[in-house]
Amino acid sequence: MEKRNTGRIKVPLTVLRKGEVGTVVSISGGHGKGGGFEKRLMDMGLTPGTRVTVVKSAPFHGPFEVIVRGSRLALGRGMAERILVEIEHK
Amino acid sequence: MNKKKLLIALAGNANVGKSVIFNHLTGLHQHIGNWPGKTVERVEGTLHFKGYTIDVVDLPGIYSLSTYSLEELVSRKYIAVERPDIVINVVDASVLERNLFFTLQLMELETPLVIALNQMDIAKSKGIKVDIKKLEQLLGVPVMPTVAVKGVGIAKLLDKAIETIEKKPAKKQSHVTYGEEVEEKIGKLVEKMKNVQLVYPPIYVAIKLLEGDEEIEREIQRLDPQILDIAKKLAGEIELIHGHCCSTVITSERYEVAGCIARAAQMLVSPIKLTKVERLHNFTTHRVTGYLTLILSLLLIFYSIFTFGDYTSGLLSDMLYVLEPLFASAFGTELVGNLIWGGVMEGLIAGITIVLPYIIPFYLILYFLENSGYLSRIAFLMDNVMHKMGLHGKAFIPMMLGFGCNVPACLGCRIMETQRERLLAAFVTTLVPCAATTVIILGLVGDYLGIQWALALYIFNLLIILVLGRLAFKVVPGEPTALIMEMHDYRWPHMKTILKQTWFRVAEFIKIAFPLIIVGSLVLKLAEVSGLLEPIAAVLSPVTVVWLGLPAITGITLIFGVLRKELSLVMLAALLGTSNFAQVLTPVQMLVFTLVAMFYIPCIATIAALVKEFGWKKSLFITVFEIGFAIVLGGVAFRLLTLVM
Repeated sequence: MEKRNTGRIKVPLTVLRKGEVGTVVSISGGHGKGGGFEKRLMDMGLTPGTRVTVVKSAPFHGPFEVIVRGSRLALGRGMAERILVEIEHK
Repeated sequence: MNKKKLLIALAGNANVGKSVIFNHLTGLHQHIGNWPGKTVERVEGTLHFKGYTIDVVDLPGIYSLSTYSLEELVSRKYIAVERPDIVINVVDASVLERNLFFTLQLMELETPLVIALNQMDIAKSKGIKVDIKKLEQLLGVPVMPTVAVKGVGIAKLLDKAIETIEKKPAKKQSHVTYGEEVEEKIGKLVEKMKNVQLVYPPIYVAIKLLEGDEEIEREIQRLDPQILDIAKKLAGEIELIHGHCCSTVITSERYEVAGCIARAAQMLVSPIKLTKVERLHNFTTHRVTGYLTLILSLLLIFYSIFTFGDYTSGLLSDMLYVLEPLFASAFGTELVGNLIWGGVMEGLIAGITIVLPYIIPFYLILYFLENSGYLSRIAFLMDNVMHKMGLHGKAFIPMMLGFGCNVPACLGCRIMETQRERLLAAFVTTLVPCAATTVIILGLVGDYLGIQWALALYIFNLLIILVLGRLAFKVVPGEPTALIMEMHDYRWPHMKTILKQTWFRVAEFIKIAFPLIIVGSLVLKLAEVSGLLEPIAAVLSPVTVVWLGLPAITGITLIFGVLRKELSLVMLAALLGTSNFAQVLTPVQMLVFTLVAMFYIPCIATIAALVKEFGWKKSLFITVFEIGFAIVLGGVAFRLLTLVM
């Protein structure tokens, strides 16, 4: 919880609450080369500097629903955890 | 040769109305095949227009032209190698930025291009207005606004495409201008590749080398490994400057350009408010109402399909059996007549009475759900459940199909991204009790032991799926992928497209399943008339009688079940001479028999579908595994159930 309030710090997208907006800082790679999903996320518009709005997450550790560049995406939790963002404060 | 032949390719993101435009263009002159050596579908059609014979290829819906998926690879190869006269890039006007990101990549391939700016109606309802002239000017590509579901703008689009081809635009099309450092490096690489014979345009190759694209790297490695080294060095320099890997930098810059163009060409006219479509989305993905809607829709779908199917199937079968005396008088009731009717015709009838009543409505509903956007919501809701098996939400869709019929379900596993996931999903799918298995479960256990036992079997089946799915996920090597999926806005689907998609799927099913069902039926009939069934039953009796505790005759009926699972029950009634199973089977025997029938083998048509998708070896492995598993499970169940019942 404390981590949330420290301002300009990288947190996984999963930390964001419903309705919160974050700016993508980077995507942390998985084990191995892991280039596949990283590239895929970028191709879907999640490049560094992009604003992401968390709409909601499905219950029981389900996927996240986010809005990126005007399109609505579903991201599996494992995927969302790897997207590091800066929380935008109103 | 006829010179007036043209080749047009349709390209674009998924769910932008590409197939609707394709259907408008080609009508029923369509053909679905596979790309050579790939399990990616190739959809083609022909049309005649202004004296031209035009072949139209509908490329798969993709978001990029990298090598993330087979679809992307196939598409870019097609454009680079086959060089269509023009590519129609279908763009969703309501999600302009992301769609233009793809357009920019098409431009990098230096293919002649026309843009169909589709879903103008949805964009309008979202308060987005696009300035067509401005967009044309910014991209340097002709743009035609369309509303494909209503057929608006399609004729003009075709006109524009032909016009563009005839004009033969100056070959040089502008491409994205990247940042200075990147452009400089692209220039350097292009210079180095001057003397290399390439399939792709040099600028494209240069960009892809900097992005670290595996396929292009392999290609260059073969042609001139030195260039690859230089590219790696240059990419490293960019990485140093930007602090991100080079591929990230290039993707970001490309998106930057796409964003600039989108912002310049579109105007947000009305304030964004919650539309009906959005309220529906919220309702159907809500943690309570979403799941309720899902359960209710699934129940409704299955209930109506089974009711309709059962009724129609009976009706059709009655109608077709009218032919029996005709055949009897034509071919006699001796060996030949027996083989023709009992073998070939009964196989054919079986196929017809299953396909028409069950598969057709199933596909209609499936495509309705897909095109309207609900399938992606189902995948969203079911993602966490599917994760228990190492798969992601999309895999729920073939599984759902599997409850109807395993054959389309196995083919439906193509929606998964990697070959590994397709295989895992297909394996899980073959364990799902299909309509025919349901006949056994309800007809035997449901009728004689009560519905609670039938329900228990279903739940047990799902548990087994979960356990085996998880096991397979651990055993099959490879990394799991997680869900990355677009949920496009709900919309009312284009009915004609749904009908055509259904028609082509049914035709595919008939091609795969019918020959096998008919041949299989003939072989069994041959075995029957030549008196082979009794010895076979005797050979199998150590398994059936000793291990499973079933009557010896079940060995034969389970073999018939390979053709179509419910035959194992139908044949049981025929061979035991009664349809009152309570007289001939104990409750334990009923349960064991049903359990074995549920798991023992994917039916012959499913095996054929597996072979088509994954080859002989894997299909054989799955089949043998499931036979072994069912026998072990049945034997254990027999011993345990005898203790408690």
